[in-house]
Amino acid sequence: MSGLALLEGRALSKVYGLSTVLHPTDVVVVAGEVRGLVGSNGAGKSTLMKILTGAIAPTSGHILINGEIASPGRPLEMLRRGVACIYQHSNLVAEMSVLDNIYIGRQPTRRLGLIQRKLLREQAQALLARHGMDLDLDAHVSTLSTVRQKEVEILKALALDARVLLMDEPTAWLSVADVARLHSTIDGLRARGVGIIYVSHVLDEVFAICDTVTVMRDGSVVADQPIAQLDRARVIELMVGKTLATQALGEANGAARSAPAAGVPRLRCRALSKRGEFHEVSLDVHAGEILCLTGLVGSKRSELVQAIFGANRFDSGTIELEGVPVKFHSPRAAIASGVGFVTEDRHRDGLMLDLSIAENLVAATLGRYRRGLLLAGERIRATALRLITALNIQPPDFMKPVRLLSGGNQQKVLLGKWLDLQPRLLILDEPTVGVDIGAKAEIYGLLRAARDNGMAVLVVSSDLEEVMTIADRIAVMVAGRVVRTRETCETKIVDLVRDMGAVSA
Amino acid sequence: MIRRHGISALPIFFLVTFAFFCAVVPRFATAGNLEALMAGYAFIAIVAMGESFAILLRGVDLSVGAVMALAGMVAFDASLILHLPGYLSVALALVVATFAGVLNGLLIVFLRLQPFIATLATLAAYRGIVFAISGRQLVPGLSTTALDDPWIIGLETYFDVGATLGVESIAVPAIPLSFLLMIVLLVLFEVLLRSTRFGRDFYATGGNPEAARLAGIDLRRTVLIGYALSGFCAGVAALLLVARLTTSTEALGNGMELTAIAAAVIGGVRLNGGMGSMWGPVVGTFLLGVVLMGLTLFGISQFVQQILTGAVLLAAIAHSRWLQSRRLLPSAPEGS
Repeated sequence: MSGLALLEGRALSKVYGLSTVLHPTDVVVVAGEVRGLVGSNGAGKSTLMKILTGAIAPTSGHILINGEIASPGRPLEMLRRGVACIYQHSNLVAEMSVLDNIYIGRQPTRRLGLIQRKLLREQAQALLARHGMDLDLDAHVSTLSTVRQKEVEILKALALDARVLLMDEPTAWLSVADVARLHSTIDGLRARGVGIIYVSHVLDEVFAICDTVTVMRDGSVVADQPIAQLDRARVIELMVGKTLATQALGEANGAARSAPAAGVPRLRCRALSKRGEFHEVSLDVHAGEILCLTGLVGSKRSELVQAIFGANRFDSGTIELEGVPVKFHSPRAAIASGVGFVTEDRHRDGLMLDLSIAENLVAATLGRYRRGLLLAGERIRATALRLITALNIQPPDFMKPVRLLSGGNQQKVLLGKWLDLQPRLLILDEPTVGVDIGAKAEIYGLLRAARDNGMAVLVVSSDLEEVMTIADRIAVMVAGRVVRTRETCETKIVDLVRDMGAVSA
Repeated sequence: MIRRHGISALPIFFLVTFAFFCAVVPRFATAGNLEALMAGYAFIAIVAMGESFAILLRGVDLSVGAVMALAGMVAFDASLILHLPGYLSVALALVVATFAGVLNGLLIVFLRLQPFIATLATLAAYRGIVFAISGRQLVPGLSTTALDDPWIIGLETYFDVGATLGVESIAVPAIPLSFLLMIVLLVLFEVLLRSTRFGRDFYATGGNPEAARLAGIDLRRTVLIGYALSGFCAGVAALLLVARLTTSTEALGNGMELTAIAAAVIGGVRLNGGMGSMWGPVVGTFLLGVVLMGLTLFGISQFVQQILTGAVLLAAIAHSRWLQSRRLLPSAPEGS
C-alpha cells in the first residue's frame, strides 16, 4: 500500500464526561485500499466512524482529507469533500425512485426550481456506466432487494464524487450470494482508487475483501496490519481476549452431544407443506440437541419455523411435540405448550424498544407475575436481575429502555425473555445478525447451556461459520425443501455450500 | 417520478360511483346538481390539499377548520368594521391564515411538539381568537349585515360555459370560480411536488427524515413551508365559503379537519407520510361529495350518511393497508 492517503485521522479521541470512549487513535485510508475495522460493540468503532463522518466532533486530534485539515463535526463538509458513509440501516427513501434517491436534496434545477430531469438521468447513466453497475433508475427503492438497495446507496455516495466510503455493516441483511455481489462491486471501486473502510462483525468477509485491518478493543487500536499477517483466531483474540475467543470458535463445540439421541423426539415434523413456501418438510429435533436449519435467503426457512410456531399456516403435514400431535393456530397456543420463538428482526417484532429491560424480559411470561389483579413488581425485578446477571446484559440496569442498548445486548434481552419461559422447544431465527463477536460468543454459550439442560433448540441461520460452531446437526434447505441433514462432526463448510448449490461462501 | 401504487384505482372507483348515482337517482345528473357539487366541494378539496401537505410530512394539521374560521373572521372584520377595500381584506385573510400555518410549523420544528399535539393546541387557540375578534359580537348589528364587497362576493361567480360555447341545446353546468381556483391550485401543487427540488425534498422528508437530513435537506424549512401551505389553503377555502354565505361565523369550518383528513386518506395519501399526490385528495373529496349528494337525493337521513362517510373512510384505509401489506412481502431474491 503505497497509495495516496485520502483520509487520515490523527490522535482522534472522544471523552464523554468522565468516560473515555476513544483513546487517541490514528487511522489512515489510502487510495485503492479496503480497510477492515473490527472490534466488539463498545470498542469505539462507531465513535471513530461518527468522528470521520463529521456526525460528532472529536475531543482532540484532527482529520486530514487529502492532506488538508478538515473542520471537525461538520457532516456536510465531509460529504462535500468526498467522505461518504453507508450506514447499516437504509438511508434511502423507500417510496421514491432510484434516480430521485441518488440525487436527493441536490437535483440540478432551472428557473423556478424546476428539476432538470433529462440532465439528471444522463448524469446517473454516465455514473452507472463509469462504475460498471446496472440499476433500473425508475424502479422504486421499496421494490428492490436489499443488495440492490446497498448498490443504490453506494451510487448515491459516488454521485458525490466520494473518494472515501465508510461502510458500516454493509452485509448485515444480505444472503451469501448477495455478499459476493457486493464484494465484486467493492472490488471495482478499489480498482478505481476509492478508499474504503469496511466495518463488519463477520470476519470471513473481512478476510475475503480487506487489504488491511484495524482491530479495536476498549477504545484503542490494538492492531493495524495487512490482513495477510493475521489469521482468524488471532483477530478474535485481539478483539475479545482469550477466554471468549475459544467460546466463539468451533472447538467449544467439543462438548456437543456425541451420540445421536434416541427415543421420541421433542419436535417431530412430517411432510409439512404450504403451497408456494415449503414442501414435504420432515424434521426431528431431540431434547438436548441444537439443530441448525441453514440455506440461502429465500429458501423459506423462516416461513417453515413460523408455521411450526403457529405464526404462519400450513396446508398439510403433521407436527408432534413429544409424540403428541399438535397444531398451533396462534403463537399464544404454541407458547402455552412450551415453544419459544426468537424472531429474526428484533426491532420490528422482537422487542418493545421504549420499554425497560425488565419489562421486556418478562413480556412473554407476565402471567406468572400476577398478584391478584395487579403485577408483583418485586418478583419481576428479581427475575430481571437474575436474568441480567445470567446473560451478562450491559449495562445491568433493569430500568434502562432497550433502545439504548447495543445490538448484542438487545439480542440477549430477547433471548432472556424466552429463556425465562423455560420452553421445551426454543426456535431462533437468525439469532446473531448485527451482533458483535463478543456477544455472539455469549449467546452461543447460553444456547449450549440451554441444550445441556435438556432444551431442544432449533436455529435458523445463514451464517455457516455460526452453524458449524453451534449445531449438533445441520439441515440444509433449498427452495422450500430440506435437501440434506448432516451430523456436524462429520461435516465441512464446503459440504454445506455444495448442498445449498451456492456459488460462493 | 413517484409511481403511486394502486391509486389509479381511485378515479375508476369515482367514475363507477358517479355512474351508479346517475343511473339510480333520477334527479342526480342535472346541471344544477353538478353545479352544486362543484361549488359545495371545491373549497373542501382545497383544504384537503393543504391537509395533505401536513400528512405527507408524517404529520397532521388539526387546526385547518379553526384557521378557516380565523381567516373568515379577519375578512369579515376587515371589510365591515375597518372598511378596508376588498383586495386588502382578502390579502389580509390569506396572510393571517398562512401565518397561522407557519406558527403550527414553528411549534413542531422548534418546540419539537408532535404535529397532533401542536395543531390540537392551536385548534383551540385559533378558535378562541376567532371569538375574541368576532365583529358579530363586538359591533352590535353586524351579525345581520351581509358582506357586499365585490372582491369577496365576486369569489362566488359562475361561468356559463354552455352559453359561451353556444351549446345551449343541452344543459351544461356553469363552472363556479371556486372550482377553477381549485384546479389552478391543483396544477400548481402538482408541479411543485413532482418537478421541483422542493417537491422531491418534501417526499424525502416525509418518506425517511433521517435520509433527508443526511442528504443535507433543511428539514425545518420543509416542515415550515408544508404547514404554511396548509394554512394558506385553509385561508383560500375560508374566503370561498364566506363568499357563498355572504357572512362569516365563529363556527366556520367546524369539523373540517376530519373531512379533510378523510378526503386525503381516501385520495391515497399514506397516513405515515412520504406517499401520495395532490390530485388524489381532490378526487377523494368529490367522491365523498358524490356519495353524500346522491344519498341525500335518495332521501337517506343525514345520520345514516355520516355512518356511510365513516364506512367509506374505513374502506379506503383498509384498501391502502392491503396494498401496503402486499408491497411489504419480500421481493424475489435475485440469483437464487
